[in-house]
Amino acid sequence: MQTEDYSGRYVEVDGLVKWFGNDRAVDDISFSVPRGKFLTLLGPSGCGKTTTLMSIAGLHGIDAGTIRVGGITYTSTAEGIFLPPEKRDIGMVFQSYAIWPHMTVAENVAYPLEIRKAAPNEIRERVAEVLRLVGLTELTNKLATQLSGGQQQRTALARAIVSRPRLLLFDEPLSNLDLKLREQMRVELKRIQHEVGITSIYVTHDQAEALVMSDEIVVMSKGRIEQKGGPHEIYTRPVNAYVSNFIGTANLLKGRVVQVTAPGRGEVELTEGATPIRLPCLLGEGIMAGQQAVISVRPENVQASRDSGGRAPIEGEVLQVIFLGNCIDCRVRWGEFEWKVLAHPRAELRTGEKIYLRFDPEYTLAVQP
Amino acid sequence: MSVQTIPTAVTDAPLSGRWRSLVTQESVAILIVSMIVAAAVLLPLFTLVISSFQVLDAGGFDTTWGLDNYRALFTDRIIPKAFVNTLLISTGSTVLAAFLGISLAWINARTNCPWRDRLEPYNLIPFFLSPFVGAIAWHNLASPDIGLINIWSRDYLGVSDHLINVDNIYGVIWVTGIFFSPLMYLFVVGSLRRMDPALEDSARTAGAGLLRTTFTVTLPLVAPGILSGAIIVFVTSAGEFGVPFKLSAPYGWETLTTQIFSKAVGDDANHYLGAAMSMALGAITAFFIYIQQRHIAPRSFTTVTGKGFRPNVLDLGRWRWVAFGYNIAFILVAVALPILCLLVVSVHPVWQGKIIPSAMTFHNYEKTLFFWQQDSITAATNGIYNSFILAFAGATIAMVLSLVVSHMIHRTKGFGARLLDFLCVVPIGFPGIVLAMGVLVTYIKTPIYATLWIILLGYITRFFPYGQRNVSSVMLAISEELDQSSRMAGASWFTTLRRITIPLLKPGIFAGWVLLFIIFLRELSISIILYTSGTETLSVGVYYLVNFENEPLTAALSIAQTVVLLLCVIVFRRVAGREALTA
Repeated sequence: MQTEDYSGRYVEVDGLVKWFGNDRAVDDISFSVPRGKFLTLLGPSGCGKTTTLMSIAGLHGIDAGTIRVGGITYTSTAEGIFLPPEKRDIGMVFQSYAIWPHMTVAENVAYPLEIRKAAPNEIRERVAEVLRLVGLTELTNKLATQLSGGQQQRTALARAIVSRPRLLLFDEPLSNLDLKLREQMRVELKRIQHEVGITSIYVTHDQAEALVMSDEIVVMSKGRIEQKGGPHEIYTRPVNAYVSNFIGTANLLKGRVVQVTAPGRGEVELTEGATPIRLPCLLGEGIMAGQQAVISVRPENVQASRDSGGRAPIEGEVLQVIFLGNCIDCRVRWGEFEWKVLAHPRAELRTGEKIYLRFDPEYTLAVQP
Repeated sequence: MSVQTIPTAVTDAPLSGRWRSLVTQESVAILIVSMIVAAAVLLPLFTLVISSFQVLDAGGFDTTWGLDNYRALFTDRIIPKAFVNTLLISTGSTVLAAFLGISLAWINARTNCPWRDRLEPYNLIPFFLSPFVGAIAWHNLASPDIGLINIWSRDYLGVSDHLINVDNIYGVIWVTGIFFSPLMYLFVVGSLRRMDPALEDSARTAGAGLLRTTFTVTLPLVAPGILSGAIIVFVTSAGEFGVPFKLSAPYGWETLTTQIFSKAVGDDANHYLGAAMSMALGAITAFFIYIQQRHIAPRSFTTVTGKGFRPNVLDLGRWRWVAFGYNIAFILVAVALPILCLLVVSVHPVWQGKIIPSAMTFHNYEKTLFFWQQDSITAATNGIYNSFILAFAGATIAMVLSLVVSHMIHRTKGFGARLLDFLCVVPIGFPGIVLAMGVLVTYIKTPIYATLWIILLGYITRFFPYGQRNVSSVMLAISEELDQSSRMAGASWFTTLRRITIPLLKPGIFAGWVLLFIIFLRELSISIILYTSGTETLSVGVYYLVNFENEPLTAALSIAQTVVLLLCVIVFRRVAGREALTA
C-alpha cells in the first residue's frame, strides 16, 4: 500500500510547537527517525522532551507542526488533522509503568490485542511469546500489585510491543529503578528493541542511558534542539558548551580563535585561567578566526605528569585526589580555574604537589559558547 | 497486524477534517454533561434571584417587579428575629460541635485511650442519622412535661418543676451540635492521624516542650482543618430545618428555615417572599463556603509523606480512663440514649412519660410500616416506598454524573474542566431548603412539579458534589498514565472508561453511592419544600406524624428509619474503610 519508501525518515516531526499557557514548551523542533532505529530525546527536566513525546503519542494537541509516521499524518495543524491516540498504533512505556492493578500480568499484556479483536488463541500465543521475550513467563498470572519495579517495567514493555505497533515510545522508563537494575535493563531493553525491530523514541535525562542505548541522540534544551547525532559524534564533537557539559563532563574555558591553521583546525587563546596561553585544537562547526569560543576538553583527555617535559603549557597544583579504583579523579588549580582530570591509578598523585597538564589537539575542541 | 500492514482506521485518517477531529466521544460527552450540570445547578439559582424581585399583589394572583420582598425581611414581625435565631443557633452549634469533635478526634488519633480503634465508628454514627429524628428523641427525653429525664428527676430526685428543657433555642443548639460533631471530627482526625511525626519530633529536639510543640506545630498544622470544619458545621446548622422545626419553632423561636417553610409552602403560600428569604440565607452560607473553599481549603498543609509511619501517641497515664469515659459518655448521649428513648416511646399506645410494660404493643409499627393494613398511615408508608426509589435512583444517577464530571475535571485540561470544578462547589454553598426553593420556582409550571422527578432533581443537584468528591479523591490517587496507556494500547475514550477507569474507581464509586443513599434516605429540607400528597418521603412521613399524629407513631417510623440507616452504615464501612470519609 505504501507508494513511497519512508524508511529513511519513518518518523518525521516537522516544526513542532507546543505552548503551555505563556510558556513555549516546544519551540519549533524538527527531526526524523529511520525505520527500525532507536532515537533518544535527551535533556534536563523542562526541556520539552516529554512534551514532544506526548505530542507524537497524541495525548495532547499541538499548536503548530506536522507529525508523520510511515507516511501517515498523525497530526498536522496546517491540514487540520489530529488522529486520536488509540488510532495511532503506538506502543508506549510510561515512567510509572502504568500497569493496571486490577489485572494480572497476562491480562495487562493481552489488552492491546483484545482491543484489536484478535482471536483468543492468537492472543494466548502472542502473550506467551512476548512474556518469554521479556523473561516473565513464571509471573503470567500474578496481579500487577505483586510485582517488583523491574517486573512491572518488563510487563509494561511486553504490553507495548505485543501488538507489534508501528512505533514504540518510552517516557523515562528506567528512572524509577535502582542503579544496578537500571544498568541491566538498559542493555536488555536495547536487545529486545533490536530483536523486535520496532522504531523507537526514548526520552531520558540520563546521558549514560542515552549513550548506551541510542542509534541517534537529540539533545534538547529549553524547547529547542541543541544537537542531533550518533552517540559517538555527540560525545566527541559537541557543537556547543551546553552539549559538551550535558553529555559527560568537560573542562570548559573561554577563549578566542586566533588563527585557522587548516580546514577545521586552529589555535585558541584562552582568556580564562592563570596565564593567557595558546592551544592548538579542532574547530567546531561554524567557528571562525577572531571569534569568541569555548575550549572543551574531556577530563580523560587531559594528560597529567610530574615533569614538564619541556613544553607542557600548563603548570598547576593538585587540589584534591579521589581514588575511584579504575582511575583517579583529581582537581588541579590553575589560577582561578579548576581542571578536572582523570588520571591512571598508577599516577599516584598527591594533594598539594605541582603538576603539568598537556593536551592532544585531536581531543581539544573549540565550540560555540 | 504485522509492521507492514496499515490498520484501516489509519488510512482514512487524512480524510478527516478539522471538524471530525473535534467530534470525539470525549468531547461530545463533556459537552452534554457540562450542559446538564450547568443547567441543573445554575437554573434554580437564577430563577430564585428573579423570583425574589417579584412581588405578589394583594389578590395573590399577579406579580409586579419590586423590592417589597426584601423590605419584608426587615419589617416582618418574625423574620428579623428568625434571622438572629439562625445566627445564634449556628454559632452555638459550631462551638459545641468543635469542642466535641476536636476533643474526640484528638483522643482517638493521638492518645493511648483504651480501645480507641473500636470507639471511632460509634463516634461517627450521628453523621449518618437524621438530626430531625434526634430532635424528636430529645423532645421525648427532655421536654418539660413528658421528657423521661424530667419525669424521673421529679419522681426520684424531687425536682419541683423540670431539670432540663430542650424545647427552646438551647435544645436546638444541643441537638445540632451533637449531630454535627462527627463532621468536625472528620475534618480534624485525618490531619491529626496522618501527620508526619518528624514534624513534631523536630520541634521537640529543637528544645520545645510538649505544650509548646502542640501550640506552635501541631495546632497550626491542624488549623485549616478546624476552620474548614467549623465553617461547614456553621453553614449546615444554618440550613437545618428538622431540629428547629421540632424543638424551637413551636415554642416561639423561629429560624430562617422554618420561616421559609411556613411562608412559602403554607396555605397562603408566597413563593416570592420565600425566594427572598432563601436569598438572604443563601447569601450567608455561600459567603462562608466561598471563604472556606477559596482561602482555607487550599491552605491545608500536606502532612502526608507517603512513608508508612505511626503518629506520635501521647501517654495519658491514668487520665486515659477519663478520656475513655468521656468518649463513652458521648456515644451514650449522642447515640444510645436517643435511640433507646425512641424505642421505648414507640411501643406505647400513647406516651405520657411513663413506661408501662403491660401496655406495650407493636401496633405503632404496623400502622406506620405495613402498607397492606387497613389502618396504615399512607403518608408514612408512601414515604418509605418513595424514599427507597429516590435513594436508589438518585444515588445511581448522581454517581454516573460524578464519574463523568470527575473524569473531566481531573483528566481534561482547559476551560471546561475549571467551569465544572466550580459548578460542583456551588451546590455545597446553598442549604437544601434554599436550593429546593430555587427548584420549586423553576419547575412549578412544568409537568415534573408534584412528581417524584422534581424531588429527584433537587436531591441530585444538591448532593452529587459529595459523590463527585468521593470519586475525585480516588481518581487523584490513580496515575493518569493508567488511562493514557490504555489509549496508547488502542482503546477508545469510552472503552478506556469502561475497562480501566471504572474498575479502578469501583471502591470510590460504591462508597459514594452508599453515602448518597444514606443522605437521600433521611433527607428532609428539600423534600419538605417539594413534596405534595402522594410524593412524601420517609422524613416527610415523620414530619407528618409529628404534625398530625402522636409521639409513639412518630417514634416508630423514626426507629424504622434509624435501623435502615444503621444497616447502610455497616455496608458503608465494609466497602469504604475508615479513611473514606476524611477525604
